[in-house]
Amino acid sequence: MTSLVEVDEVSKWFGELVAVSEVSFAVGPGVTALLGPNGAGKSTVLRMLCGLTPPSKGEVRVLGGDPRRDLALSANIGLVPQQEALFEGYSAYGFVHLAAVLLRVADPDRATRAALELVELDPDDRRGVGTYSKGMRQRVKVAQALVNDPTVVVLDEPLTGLDPRQRLHLISLFQRLGEDGRCVIVSSHVLDEVERFGSRVLVMAQGRLAAEGDYRAIRELMDDRPHRVRVRCDDPRMLAAGLLGANGVVGLQLVGTDGVVIETLDAAALRRRVALAAQRADLRLHEVTPLDDDLESVFRYLVERR
Amino acid sequence: MSAVASARLPVFRLVLRSQVSRARVGALLALGAVGIVVGASLGAADQVPELVDGRVVDGGLWAGARFVSTFGLSLLVPVTALVFAAASLGDLDEEGTLVYLWLRPVRRSRIVVAAAAASFTVAWPVVVVPLGVAAAATGGGRGLVAGTVAAATVALVAYTGLFCALGLVTKRSLVWGLLYVFIWEGFVATAADSAARLAVRTYARSVLSGVADVPLRGTVVDSPARWVVPIAVGAVALAFTTWRLARRDIA
Amino acid sequence: MSDGGARILDRGYRRYDGHRTGVAGSFRTLVVHSMQRALGLKRSAAQKLLPGLAVFIAYVPAIVFVGLTVLIQDTLLANQNLVPTYADYYSFISAAIVVFSAFVAPELLCTDRRTGMLGLYLASPLTRNSYLAAKATAVVALLALVTLGPPLLMLVAFTIIGQGPDGPGALARVLGEVVLGGVAVAVLPASLSLAASSTTTRKAAASAAVILVLLASTAVTETLVEEAGAPAELFCANLLGLPFELVRRIYGEPSPDVAVAGIQTGTLIAAYAGWTLLFAGFTWLRYRRLAVDR
Repeated sequence: MTSLVEVDEVSKWFGELVAVSEVSFAVGPGVTALLGPNGAGKSTVLRMLCGLTPPSKGEVRVLGGDPRRDLALSANIGLVPQQEALFEGYSAYGFVHLAAVLLRVADPDRATRAALELVELDPDDRRGVGTYSKGMRQRVKVAQALVNDPTVVVLDEPLTGLDPRQRLHLISLFQRLGEDGRCVIVSSHVLDEVERFGSRVLVMAQGRLAAEGDYRAIRELMDDRPHRVRVRCDDPRMLAAGLLGANGVVGLQLVGTDGVVIETLDAAALRRRVALAAQRADLRLHEVTPLDDDLESVFRYLVERR
Repeated sequence: MSAVASARLPVFRLVLRSQVSRARVGALLALGAVGIVVGASLGAADQVPELVDGRVVDGGLWAGARFVSTFGLSLLVPVTALVFAAASLGDLDEEGTLVYLWLRPVRRSRIVVAAAAASFTVAWPVVVVPLGVAAAATGGGRGLVAGTVAAATVALVAYTGLFCALGLVTKRSLVWGLLYVFIWEGFVATAADSAARLAVRTYARSVLSGVADVPLRGTVVDSPARWVVPIAVGAVALAFTTWRLARRDIA
Repeated sequence: MSDGGARILDRGYRRYDGHRTGVAGSFRTLVVHSMQRALGLKRSAAQKLLPGLAVFIAYVPAIVFVGLTVLIQDTLLANQNLVPTYADYYSFISAAIVVFSAFVAPELLCTDRRTGMLGLYLASPLTRNSYLAAKATAVVALLALVTLGPPLLMLVAFTIIGQGPDGPGALARVLGEVVLGGVAVAVLPASLSLAASSTTTRKAAASAAVILVLLASTAVTETLVEEAGAPAELFCANLLGLPFELVRRIYGEPSPDVAVAGIQTGTLIAAYAGWTLLFAGFTWLRYRRLAVDR
């Protein structure tokens, strides 16, 4: 995979505050989610990718160039910044058109209309963006980021203020952009939606990169944390008794009248053992559900250590 | 439209639109109107000739020149320039919208020049025109009017450059600008000749004195320095602003 | 909760059932907090720069004059003009008064509206009137720091070194004049500053408006009276000079300007009261009509 964005041992401090510490990663085409709690350094990393602030140490390369020094690179980067403010006196069309002109788009009018239609805004709406709702303002920001068809798209909390339908629409848009070969980097707190972007994540905590890659694969690597699987069946006590001596099972907990949560170091082997144990005890299985294979659990383990 | 002009004009229009508000322009025009009323009052009053530095000066010209110097060059021009120029890039930075200009393949110098030009464009008619009318109303003659317009324009060029830079350097640009205008130029620079040459007001007064042919008390700078220095100050300040903008952390 | 040597220290969220200070407590807290904010207390060093500069400009001449009095008493006895009178002192610190009045009220009023804190204050026991009253109290108190503090310092210092008023009666009279004069110089700029701050959420615009109004009124009235032959009573429109002239009348000192000296004291007081009430009323009306939506 060709890397479109490369971050090499980058640190950033503001006075005595270290916002980002020795972060290295490389991102290619597709959608990559940047996760982390507030104050983790996500926005600082995104700002460095766009050249808005220089790294205190290390190197950032976007499309092979230095985004801070190479002015021409900004024509290939689209940014949806976190702050809400827009040029209030402008209409959505005017705002995006201004971006198109400054980005030297060949046909600014057509590109503006296309970008606004992409985010389901009316190009002929002459109202100032100052009258817009939060969600509409957010969509204007996305439109101006995409008007020049950039190769790298950086989005800082792009789903803020959007209703569920608009969120789904934009998520689908970002996925399409990723599939078209663009490098899309999204920061978000909304974990269940980030799961829908795709599975590649960069997890940051306290200024450091805690993990990167497919979050399921990250979960597999966390061998210090047993997997938790819930099984519902006719007689959970009997099932638990049958699994107690099995290899790889490190804990059992009865829940409710029909369930048992099993902690295991080998989730794949557990599936076979559960089936065998149920068969031996002549039990009927109603449900077998992994409880911590989702992004939220991975995030919690990495960031909050619980 | 060429690629060069295509970037400057939208930035110019953007800054112009963000600065022109009814409240700002209305308040400054009201002040200008007050100046016109005062000028007319001076014109209506009987003015006796004054003996200044051994020279007899027409009373109307003397009163008019002093009024233009104190009300116009010391108050109206610098404050108007401050209100508009400090806001040109400063407001964009404070609101968090500067990123929408910065993250574009546009040379920083073009952004700065366009922003300064917009400030100057909106400030000039708001301050120089009423001041010129006030000067005419004093009955001080064409020389006074020409001197007023020239002095105010030259001062506006310098102040626009300085306050554009100030707007980017500090969040409290208006307060520090006011301190510069009233503490530095109003008090400190009047204490000594050397300090006076570090005040834009001195050069503006010198232009007024030279063009209107009226001897104003205090430090006066000879030509061509009285013309060249304020313009050079404005240009250097804009160069500094460009340098600063290129190195700035953008929110 | 405690039983047999064991304690639960954290039972999570609970309702507060203790003593509540009510409106008076809210008022006091807002005044104190506002003053701290304007002085940059409990904030970064940069926030202390401007108020520090204003206070420095206001107090340094007083300290210098007290020092001069201590060090060169004999010279001073021979030349009475070296140390200014209490009324004259204000001309030394007019810049500090202008700067302080220009930035204090905008810092206290504009910020609350811009950040949405006003909505939170009005959700407390404070009403719009009590909120405004608290802010006005803070602004006047802060201005009094530079208008009342230095002359008070001079009075105390002169009294201690034996150069003050003669006897307790004279001391009480001068003290009363100092307090009245300090308050007079503080109240009118404070009400102007509050009025300007009520028109905009931008602190800087409000500060610029205050300075412009103060200095423009001075330039315009002086020009009209001195050069255009306007009646001396037009001096009542000089918003910077009016309080200073009133202070002279309080101390019974003559005005250096002959035309101004001829204006009746009652006229000056009426003009002062009129302007103060006008600005205060404007502020009150602005806040009464203000839509607070967040």
